[in-house]
Amino acid sequence: MSAEVEGGRRRWAAGVTPGARRVLYAFGAAAAVLAVGSVLHPGFAAWSSLRVMLVVASFTGFVAAGQMLVVLVGGIDLSIPWVLNAAAIVLTTTSLGQTSRLPLAIAAALGLGALVGCVNGVGVAVLGVPAVVMTLGMDGVLQGLSLGLSKGLTCPSCGSYAPRPLRDLFVGRFLGIPAELLVWVGVALLVTVLLTLTTFGRRVYAVGVNANAAFLAGLPVRAVTIALYGLSGVFAAAAGIALVGYGGQPSLGLGDPYLFASIAAVVVGGVSILGGRGHYAGVVAGALTLVAIITFLQAQRVPEYARSIIYGLVILVILFTYGRDKAHD
Amino acid sequence: MHDPLTVTLRRLVAAPAFVGYAVLAATAAAYLVVYTTSLGHPPTSFDYLSILNTALPLVYVALGQSLVVLTGGIDLSVGGVMSLCIAITASTVDGPGAAAFGWVFAILALGAACGAVNGLIVARARIAPILTTLATLSVFSGLALRVLPVPGGSISTGVRTVLTNPNQPTGLLWLALAVGCWLALRRTRFGMRVFAVGSDERSAVAVGVPAAWVKVGVYTLSGLCSALAAVFFVSTTTAGDANAGQPFILTSIAAVVVGGVAFSGGRGSALGAIAGAFALTLVIDVLFFAGIDPLYQSLFQGLFLVVAVLLGTATALVSRRRRAAS
Repeated sequence: MSAEVEGGRRRWAAGVTPGARRVLYAFGAAAAVLAVGSVLHPGFAAWSSLRVMLVVASFTGFVAAGQMLVVLVGGIDLSIPWVLNAAAIVLTTTSLGQTSRLPLAIAAALGLGALVGCVNGVGVAVLGVPAVVMTLGMDGVLQGLSLGLSKGLTCPSCGSYAPRPLRDLFVGRFLGIPAELLVWVGVALLVTVLLTLTTFGRRVYAVGVNANAAFLAGLPVRAVTIALYGLSGVFAAAAGIALVGYGGQPSLGLGDPYLFASIAAVVVGGVSILGGRGHYAGVVAGALTLVAIITFLQAQRVPEYARSIIYGLVILVILFTYGRDKAHD
Repeated sequence: MHDPLTVTLRRLVAAPAFVGYAVLAATAAAYLVVYTTSLGHPPTSFDYLSILNTALPLVYVALGQSLVVLTGGIDLSVGGVMSLCIAITASTVDGPGAAAFGWVFAILALGAACGAVNGLIVARARIAPILTTLATLSVFSGLALRVLPVPGGSISTGVRTVLTNPNQPTGLLWLALAVGCWLALRRTRFGMRVFAVGSDERSAVAVGVPAAWVKVGVYTLSGLCSALAAVFFVSTTTAGDANAGQPFILTSIAAVVVGGVAFSGGRGSALGAIAGAFALTLVIDVLFFAGIDPLYQSLFQGLFLVVAVLLGTATALVSRRRRAAS
C-alpha cells in the first residue's frame, strides 16, 4: 500500500475511533438492507412498515443488550431463551391478569432473571466453568423447571393474560410513536450511559480488552463479570415481559428464536466477539438489520427454507465485510 | 508405592478423559440400580444393544466436535449438517442393494464438503468459529428443509442390517471404528498438529505447522462425522425429519465437556467425548426408569452438564495440588 493512500485513509478516519467506525458500518448495513428492500418492494422503508419493524426489532434489542454486555468481556450467554420464557410465565402466573399484582409480578420476573444471571456469573467468574457450558446448562435447568412446574403450561393459572396497563404500555401509542419504541430508547440510553459515562463502564471495557491486566490493575474482575451476567439475565427477563405485554400470553418456546437473533444482532452491530470493543448504538442497528431482512423475505413470499438459507448467507456476507478477526484496527 | 496397580490407577486418573470415564461409570451404575429396582431383573442384552444403537449418532457427532474443540474452535453447524444428511438419507437410501450404499457414500462426501466450507471460512477468512458455524447452521438447516419439507422417508433394510442391526451387535463394530480412528489419528502428524494448534496457535505457526489447513481438516472431519451420525440416526429411527439434527448441537457440546476436553483447546481426548456421549444417553434412560416426569428431563441434563464440569475442575485442582506437594 502506498504512503499516499495510507495518509488519505488516516485523514478520512481522523476523529473517528475504531469503535465508532464499527457503529457506522452497522448503520450502513441497516441502510443498505432498507434501500435494497425499497427498490425491490416499493414502500418497504415507509414509516408505517418501518414502525412495525422497529417494534419487532425492539424485542431483539432487549435480549441483545444483555448479550452484548456479556460478549464485551469475552463471554456468551446461551441461557437467554429459557430465562426469557420463564420470566414470561412467572409474570402471568404471578399477576393473574390483575393490575394490583402487576408491580409484584414484574419484580418477580426481573428478580428471576437477575438471580439466574448471577448464578451464571458465579459459575463463570468464580468456579471457572466455561461460559458456553455454564449458560447452556442453566438454559436446560430453566427449561426443565418451566416445563415441569407449569406442567407443560397447563397449570390452572397458566392461562392468565398480562394485566391491562402492561399491555397498553407495549401496544399503545404516545404522540404517534409506539410506546414500546420509547421503552427501547430508554434502554438504549441506559446501556450507553452505563458503558460510556460510568466507572463501571470503563471497567467493563478494561476487563474485556485484557482481564489479566485489569486484575493486576486492581479492578474487581469477578464482581464486574457477575454483574454483567446478572444484567444479561435481567434484560432477557425484560424481553420476556415485553413479549407477554405485546402478545398477551406466554407460550412455550417463546424465547427460542432470540438466542440466534441476540448473537447475530450483537455481531452485526460491530461488537467484537472476542470482547473489549463495541457500542449499543451498533447493536440497535444490528437488530433492525436482522428484522428488516426477515420482514423483506416474508413480504416477497420467500418459502421458509430459502429464508433460512438467505438469512445465513447475508450474515456471512456482513461478517466478511467487517466481522473478521484482526482485520481492522 | 510403586506396585503396578497404583501406577495404573494414577495413570488413569491423570488421563485427560478420566472425568468422562468416571461420569460414565457413575451413570452406568445408576442405570443398573434404577433398571433392576423398577423392573425386578437386570438389563438384558437387548437393552444394552438398544443403548448402543441409540448412542451411536451422538458418539460420532461428539467425536467430530471434540476434534474441533481441541483446536480451540466450536462447531454449531453440526446440527445443520446432520439435518441435511438425515433429510437426504431418508429420501434416497431406500432401494435395495448397491444403489443404497452408493448414496450413503455420496452423503458422507457431502457432509465432509459442508465441513470443509466451515473450515475454509474459519481459517482463510478469519471469522470466529462460533459466528461462522452459526451462519452456516442457518444455511444447512434451510437446505435440509428444502430436501424434506415434511418428516418421513425410510431406509433400506440392507443398510439397516449392516449399521444398526437390532438383533446382532453390529453397532459394536462401528463403535470400535470410532475409537480406532481416534487412536490412529492421534498418532499421525495431523493428530499432533491438532493439539499443537489448540495449545498455542502462534507457536505452532512459528515452528511451521500449517495451522489454517489443520483447521480446514478438523472442520471437514467434523462434517464427515455429522454425516455418519445422520446415517446412523436414520438407521435407528427408520425415518427422517429436517429438524432432527438440532438437538445434537447442544448434546455434542455437552458430551465433549463431560468428556473432559478443554474448551480453551489443546487438552483432552475424543475417547472422553465418546464416554460422555454414552453417559448422556444413559441419563435419559435413568430418568425414565426412575419415573421422573419427562418434562423435567432438561433440568437434569443441565445440572448433569454443570456438575460434570465442576468435577473436572475439582480433579484438575486436586491433581495439581498433589503434584505440587510431591
